[in-house]
Amino acid sequence: MGRPSHNSGYRTSAACLAASNFTMPALSPTMTEGNITTWKLKEGDSYAAGDVLLEIETDKATMDVEAQDEGILMKITQADRTKAVKVGSRIAVIAESGDDISALEMPPDETPAPIPEKKESPPPSSAEPKSESSPKKNESPKKPAAPQTYPLFPAVKQLMKQKGVEDSEVSKMTPTGPKGRLLKGDVLAYLGLLDSNSPKVVQARFEKLSHLDLSNVKPIPAKGAPKKVEEKKAAPPAPPLIEKLDVALAISLAPVLEAQKRLKDTLGVDMPLSSFISRATDVANDGLPLPASYKPTADELFDQVLGLDSLPKSSKGVYLPQITALPPAEKRTPRAAPSTKPDIIDILAGSPKRITPKPMQSTVAFTTGTNVFILSVPKAEEKRAKVFLERVKVVLENEPGRLVL
Amino acid sequence: MDICSWARQIASGSREEALSEILQYMQLEFFHSNNMVFSPELEVSVRSWILTVGEVDRGVDRKKLWHSEIFLLKQNLPPLPRRLFEFTMLSSRIMPRAAAPVRSALKAHTNLPRFVQFSRAYASSADEKDLVIIGGGVAGYVAAIKAGQEGLKVTCIEKRGVLGGTCLNVGCIPSKSLLNNSHMYHAIKHDTKQRGIVGVEGVSFDLAKMMKAKDTSVTSLTNGIEFLFKKNGVEYLKGAGSFVNEHEIKVDLNDGGETSVSGKNIIIATGSEATPFPGLEIDEQRVITSTGALSLEKVPESMVVIGGGIIGLEMGSVWSRLGSKVTVVEFLNQIGGPGMDAEISKASLKTLKKQGIDFKLGTKVLGGDPSGDKIKLQVDAAKGGKEETIEADVVLVAIGRRPYTAGLGLENIGMELDERSRVIIDQEYRTKVPHIRCIGDVTFGPMLAHKAEEEAVAAVEYISKGYGHVNYGVIPSVMYTYPEVAWVGQNEAELKASDTAYRIGTFPFSANSRAKTNLDTEGMVKIIACPETDRLLGVHIIGPNAGEMIAEAALALEYGASSEDIARTCHAHPTLSEAFKEAAMATYSKAIHF
Repeated sequence: MGRPSHNSGYRTSAACLAASNFTMPALSPTMTEGNITTWKLKEGDSYAAGDVLLEIETDKATMDVEAQDEGILMKITQADRTKAVKVGSRIAVIAESGDDISALEMPPDETPAPIPEKKESPPPSSAEPKSESSPKKNESPKKPAAPQTYPLFPAVKQLMKQKGVEDSEVSKMTPTGPKGRLLKGDVLAYLGLLDSNSPKVVQARFEKLSHLDLSNVKPIPAKGAPKKVEEKKAAPPAPPLIEKLDVALAISLAPVLEAQKRLKDTLGVDMPLSSFISRATDVANDGLPLPASYKPTADELFDQVLGLDSLPKSSKGVYLPQITALPPAEKRTPRAAPSTKPDIIDILAGSPKRITPKPMQSTVAFTTGTNVFILSVPKAEEKRAKVFLERVKVVLENEPGRLVL
Repeated sequence: MDICSWARQIASGSREEALSEILQYMQLEFFHSNNMVFSPELEVSVRSWILTVGEVDRGVDRKKLWHSEIFLLKQNLPPLPRRLFEFTMLSSRIMPRAAAPVRSALKAHTNLPRFVQFSRAYASSADEKDLVIIGGGVAGYVAAIKAGQEGLKVTCIEKRGVLGGTCLNVGCIPSKSLLNNSHMYHAIKHDTKQRGIVGVEGVSFDLAKMMKAKDTSVTSLTNGIEFLFKKNGVEYLKGAGSFVNEHEIKVDLNDGGETSVSGKNIIIATGSEATPFPGLEIDEQRVITSTGALSLEKVPESMVVIGGGIIGLEMGSVWSRLGSKVTVVEFLNQIGGPGMDAEISKASLKTLKKQGIDFKLGTKVLGGDPSGDKIKLQVDAAKGGKEETIEADVVLVAIGRRPYTAGLGLENIGMELDERSRVIIDQEYRTKVPHIRCIGDVTFGPMLAHKAEEEAVAAVEYISKGYGHVNYGVIPSVMYTYPEVAWVGQNEAELKASDTAYRIGTFPFSANSRAKTNLDTEGMVKIIACPETDRLLGVHIIGPNAGEMIAEAALALEYGASSEDIARTCHAHPTLSEAFKEAAMATYSKAIHF
């Protein structure tokens, strides 16, 4: 992927005498800088296409940069182990193979320019060899108006030859074509064969046509509109009222305590009651029937659309029962179990938006006998909550021993 | 042994520790409970998979993930534990910068059924998308694919049940199938004698099969888009979207149920519908729009087309070729609709008449009565001529299309429409609400699929790159009658109206060698250029394959070419495109062959 940018342009024989900058290549689209690990060549070494020039280290990997074309490494400007070299900045100067590098002038460092490479010549169409010799070309970037980057249009070339216009005069003409292209009209205007404004008039016309005409848009007179806006404003403050419902079930913790004791006696491990309960709720939360108000997620629907998966019949719950000794305290305000799944990222980010369910409240008073497990849920989830509590009951009363494993 | 601690470990950089915990978990709980031996080989491949997931996080090769997953699948594993998937989802979120490729990578393996049901854990409809697109037509689906390619998290909502919108399902594509096949039938029936082809007397057609060929083309194309959605990680919701507020869209799913999506950016691309004719109720059996005209069960004896624009002429051509007596009633004095050059329009009228279509130009339809056996239409010469009644078995209403925003809940966001119900936008396709953009038929500009497509790319680029561009001056139009008519740039009337001087060069196909050998010499190429600078202003073609040839004209216009530039570009001989070159020669100097 390392593509040294030194051979991006057209190559004509006239361009041979140029030394050019070799810039830090972008080895991935996101790469902005890299470290030079080692140069595999010394200054003055020749290389062929495919030779490894240097090794670059990025935050992701270490990669070799291969030459795309043959040439000579004239000068290394960023030595081995240079850190954080920006992509596009000069790291070396290279010359065409066969050049006498001692005779070549160093090109200027054009680091900030996005096109690090000078264009080697105006259109390759110009058949005659360039009269000026290599290093002089540095003047060209100063004339942004000159359209040297594209081959000249056939009619332009024809006209220039016909009228004896030198190639070098191209830079004196005002291009009016798209992206600075020189058009036939521009040459005619340059030659004084038509009003010098004509090409600009046509250009302006095209410029205008290239945009959607939105000059005469007539909005529908907004009759009921302001009213509706008010309605809209009124709507948000009334969030859908979710009816809460308390679902309760009496569960005896005696078997759990017995198991706890047994565990301590046999293994010497002290497993707190809260662990039993949290594991039981974990088990019971698995595969609960969907709440009546369940809306499938986009991904579920996506899969269903593809016929890969049908909508789930059950889902994992996040219930956390409130436990209280019998008889239940009348006025206890039940903590609402979060009705949506806690997002793990929110947990990590400590997002204030959601309340993280605490594993178990230590302040809860258990009794050794029967306790009441209470869930406060939206009405639509009544059945789901009941199933959950039934399961907790079964697990805690019948086989608390299995929770140890 | 819970996800939180894994996540913390990964976040703090100790990926290896998290990994070993996961492996341990798998070994102890998962494989044990499945009565499986967690063999060393298996451990290696699971390990490599987890590591690859991690690598993908950091932007390394996505293909690797595929390979290692497929490898895992081949091991005949039972479903992998949910937690593992939570882990992968999680790790993809921890590194937000590289998250996009992972997300699409994960989505991409939804066709690995075994994994699918477990990847749901943290995918909730509550996540905000980068872009939500309402409408899966040409504008919408192109925007969705482009957004997917740009790494945006994108959802496309379409209620038709298939992608591609009007164009693919009930527009450009099916009509081209019918046009092509009816043309072949018509050519075999009427145009073989002079070519020395005999034995085709009594040629006939099977309409049902013709329709089936059309449907097959359509289905394969729409399925193709669905595939491209998957490939580019676009979430596709089949249902009707409507705005709840400026960020949230409620989707009434086609299969029942309802969901909602919210997006940082939203694109409205709901397209257009046929404008109904006041007083004539569309039943798509006898009073039809272009949609009904694409699926008639039998060839009507007679058909009246209200509206002599492109749609009316194309559909009229199809049924005329198949044997209907077709009459086109057009209010204006010219066919082809806006944009078609008057000279070309006249030439087209002449050939269509020759093919047997009747025209009533400058004629207004006053009303219709579909109660009888035949539908009766009262028509009147637009400039107060005599009133008359015409009868037809089927009436095709093709008076244009109008933006379609029904049920979109635009009132909930106070969206502004113009007098023709187009959503008002600025040059960057932004509506009144800046993060909601609008493209395609539902807003300004010509109602053309390729224009919508360009806008889709530009609108997404405005979102992702901050700049996009559509050159509205160079949008070609094509009418696929026989011969085809195509144009790009400006026509004579427009130039006259803006007081712009112009020069014309034409070349008839009757002087073109290829057209001669094809015995298909109707039509011409007409080039309009600036008389001073010779820069191309417009190109209008009527003739065989005009629709293909117009591409060259669009390219020339886009590059600011002069007619001389075209004339000096070598065109292969013998081809129809030489007519194009000769017309260019005729514009700046003289044609050789005419």
